[in-house]
Amino acid sequence: MSATLPLFSPLLAAANSNAALITFLIYTLAVFGLAALSNQLMKNKNFLSEYFLGSRSLGVWAFALTFAATSSSGGSFTGFPSKIYTHGWILGLWIGSYIVVPICAMGLLGKRINHVARISGAITVPDVLRDRFRSASFGLMAVSLIVFFMSFNLIAQFKAGSVILNTLLSDVGPFDAAVGWVANAKSNIGFLQDVDSGYLLCLVTFSFAVILYTTYGGFHAVVWTDVMQGVVMVVGVLIMLPLAINAVGSLPEATQKLARMTPPRLGMLRVSLKVPATENLTLNGPWFTLPGEDVGHPRLFRINKTLVIPKGKTTVDHVRYVEITTPEEIEDQLKRLADQEHTDIIGFRQKLREFIESQIEWIETNQTSLLSADSGPQLAELRKNLLVLEQQPKALLRSFEFHPVDIEFTLSKKYPEPYGDGRPGMYVSGPGPAPPSLPGKPRLIEVKIDQPDAEIRVFDEKNVRQVTRHTGRGRTLISVDSKTYRLDVVKAGFSVFSTNVEFEKVDPVTGKKTEIETVKLDVELIASPDAKHGLKSDGEEESVMSYGFLPLSIAISFFFMWAISGAGQPSSMVRLMAFNNSTTLRRSIFTVAIYYSLIYFPLVIIFCCARVILPGMDLESDGIMPQMAVTLTQQIGQGWLAGLLVAAPFAAVMSTVDSFLLMISSALVRDIYQRNINPEAKEKTIKRLTFLFTFLVGAGATLGAVNPPRFLQDIIVYTGSGLAACFLAPTVFALYWPRSNSQGCMGGMLAGFSAHLAMYIAGYFANGSFFKPYQLFDFNPIIVGLLVSFVSGYIVTRLTPPPPEELVRKYFYRKKTS
Amino acid sequence: MSNAVHASQAEDLEFDPVFLHSRREAIVIFFVWLVAFIWAVPFCYFNGYVDATEVVEIDTVWGIPSWVFWGIGAPWIAANIFTTWFCFCYMKDDDLGEAMEGSDIAEEAVEMHADENGAEA
Repeated sequence: MSATLPLFSPLLAAANSNAALITFLIYTLAVFGLAALSNQLMKNKNFLSEYFLGSRSLGVWAFALTFAATSSSGGSFTGFPSKIYTHGWILGLWIGSYIVVPICAMGLLGKRINHVARISGAITVPDVLRDRFRSASFGLMAVSLIVFFMSFNLIAQFKAGSVILNTLLSDVGPFDAAVGWVANAKSNIGFLQDVDSGYLLCLVTFSFAVILYTTYGGFHAVVWTDVMQGVVMVVGVLIMLPLAINAVGSLPEATQKLARMTPPRLGMLRVSLKVPATENLTLNGPWFTLPGEDVGHPRLFRINKTLVIPKGKTTVDHVRYVEITTPEEIEDQLKRLADQEHTDIIGFRQKLREFIESQIEWIETNQTSLLSADSGPQLAELRKNLLVLEQQPKALLRSFEFHPVDIEFTLSKKYPEPYGDGRPGMYVSGPGPAPPSLPGKPRLIEVKIDQPDAEIRVFDEKNVRQVTRHTGRGRTLISVDSKTYRLDVVKAGFSVFSTNVEFEKVDPVTGKKTEIETVKLDVELIASPDAKHGLKSDGEEESVMSYGFLPLSIAISFFFMWAISGAGQPSSMVRLMAFNNSTTLRRSIFTVAIYYSLIYFPLVIIFCCARVILPGMDLESDGIMPQMAVTLTQQIGQGWLAGLLVAAPFAAVMSTVDSFLLMISSALVRDIYQRNINPEAKEKTIKRLTFLFTFLVGAGATLGAVNPPRFLQDIIVYTGSGLAACFLAPTVFALYWPRSNSQGCMGGMLAGFSAHLAMYIAGYFANGSFFKPYQLFDFNPIIVGLLVSFVSGYIVTRLTPPPPEELVRKYFYRKKTS
Repeated sequence: MSNAVHASQAEDLEFDPVFLHSRREAIVIFFVWLVAFIWAVPFCYFNGYVDATEVVEIDTVWGIPSWVFWGIGAPWIAANIFTTWFCFCYMKDDDLGEAMEGSDIAEEAVEMHADENGAEA
């Protein structure tokens, strides 16, 4: 599964900091111990075969768990739980092909690729293809594609590992001290000045650990750490399952509650203070209510993550919120917040108390210099609020109780409604609810209008109306998300002003583009109405997610993706070349089948329960795994256990990174240097070069991850599906079709690469981004890539001469035994 | 069948059983994937998907929505039973042979020297 970048809550890390630190230290020590043992194994063995393939000696547990752990990247424990939390039971179908992934990914190619690699003495996947057709150019093509795809992927995985580590360790005393030291140290280094100090420290620590143990221990170190990581993952899931079911009462109860839920709404709000904050006011994901239309049900909101109101400021804009929309869920959560000593609320109330006291002090101190002559009423109201706070220590913060004296929440922007808005049953049926895609940094359009009663309409690039604002004379602020808009002003049903809004300024001399945050428009309404813009009916204006999370075409794509393209990953193929005999393969397929059954379906159950236990995390759902770990283990009074559970995603990323690192260094040393430059290189030279290249590749990826490119998650998806589109068809032909030849397989590889790339390039023109690929007939590019690769490989083979007889004999025949 | 293969057969050769067994097993596995696909996706689609106007009524089996249970959960158990049978009763134990470590490199070195000698001659 692909990996997703996590955004954990610092609050969570704080609650769990010591356990996380101790777990991390024990874990790192164990990894180094395994690397040292592996290094001992290299003595008296063929160095390259041992270093890159473990001397083809893996037994059942080592082979099964390294295969499973490498296939499960960090995404299994960050992105996947987040998706379950966000979309509900439909993830059962999304992950559905895992029922046959072990048998497909290991059984389709396993025995045969191991056999062919033994015949030729191949150590890497490009080796297999090159030897099978005795074609140096095919080997080089395969190496180039592996290095191309995996280098990008490695940078993305390095960043993912560092972000997870940063989250695990944030708020730990010694770590914070080290971050401070790094901040000082990097202040004079130009290219590091904009890099977050915590992230940089974690990147260096993560890279140091992975590069060191991989370089020193080679394949066996990677395999043994994978085994340890695989055990951590399954134990974590099996502990969480009964705890989660126990926390919701029972699974039927949880599913029925999910069935009654309606998807939450998302938006932005403004937090305003009456007087400036006298010190930084920090609030961790507080809940608050606003009066609802129905008196019995207030509207319940949760602010996304940490809210900081800086010293001296009175407003914070663009604060994201989640609004719970199910009456039953609102009632449950209100009760939960009021009854239990909820840490968020207690923390928030304490902050609020301090804050009101500081406001009182500020007004008293500055009374003489205040412009408003009498601040007495303000003081009286503040003191009244303090009294309310004291008298109802466990009550939920209700903004209207304090309004408008200390804090005011103003809903400033509502995102488009989610798919399934207002409809119960979305979390237990297909295609599943889909929240609107969230914008990056918000931008502002400031419109100044000279006449009353106008309506401002803002349209995006696809002419879909994003915002409608009825406004009077004066200034209006509109928060938007992307770069280009059209703004219309309508009065009495007629468009009276229309202009394009660009959030980029181009320097006329240098041509360099700079982004701007606020565009100011002075609108003078013209006298003669012009009805050419903006008169769509309300029905057309709706900007609602119209397809849901998993429409049928995407469900089909994913059934292909996990099972079929999983078999086409070179990192999996290498492992298939490393088991010791076919009995090991048989037992390992069975073991991985049981292993995946114990992980993936239980994860769906656990995180469907999480929606009931922990509502309102929709904007930070990537942190749901550690949040659940902390919540569940605290409920049974075993907080230390959370450290083990939250180590699972870190373990998963590490097990993927070390494999990719070895793949790239093997491509450089074995496939390029030894096979093309110096076949007679001495073992000592090869050994030194291997250590050097493994270290250099790791160091290069670390440097790349200091300022990583954007769209990391998309890069991971692009590279994973691209590798399958390039390698599956040629490998299947090479292993199972005696008539196949190098021209056909190279044609299939190039065609798969080109077709897959073409979908992404078409996406750039059709959807405005390379990473929003064009989906032919709504199918994922992997389907197109695989289909084109197989068909063109077959056609080119048929049109070109058969392969040399000698090669066919070598790989497909043997002498008759009788 | 290619000329190359005909020529090979004429020389008292037979297909390597590892190749034959692997190919047969791969075909069976592909059909298993196909059966899983043909069952799971349509079953979940026709029983678990609702359109925008439908009122959702949820039946459960052991707390799991019935379309997930019968579309994914039960096939998962069936697939595991099949995998167990496949691994322990159907899949052949084949001798994969000794690894010819370094033989490809040795061949290349020989070819390289042959090319050099040819060039000198």
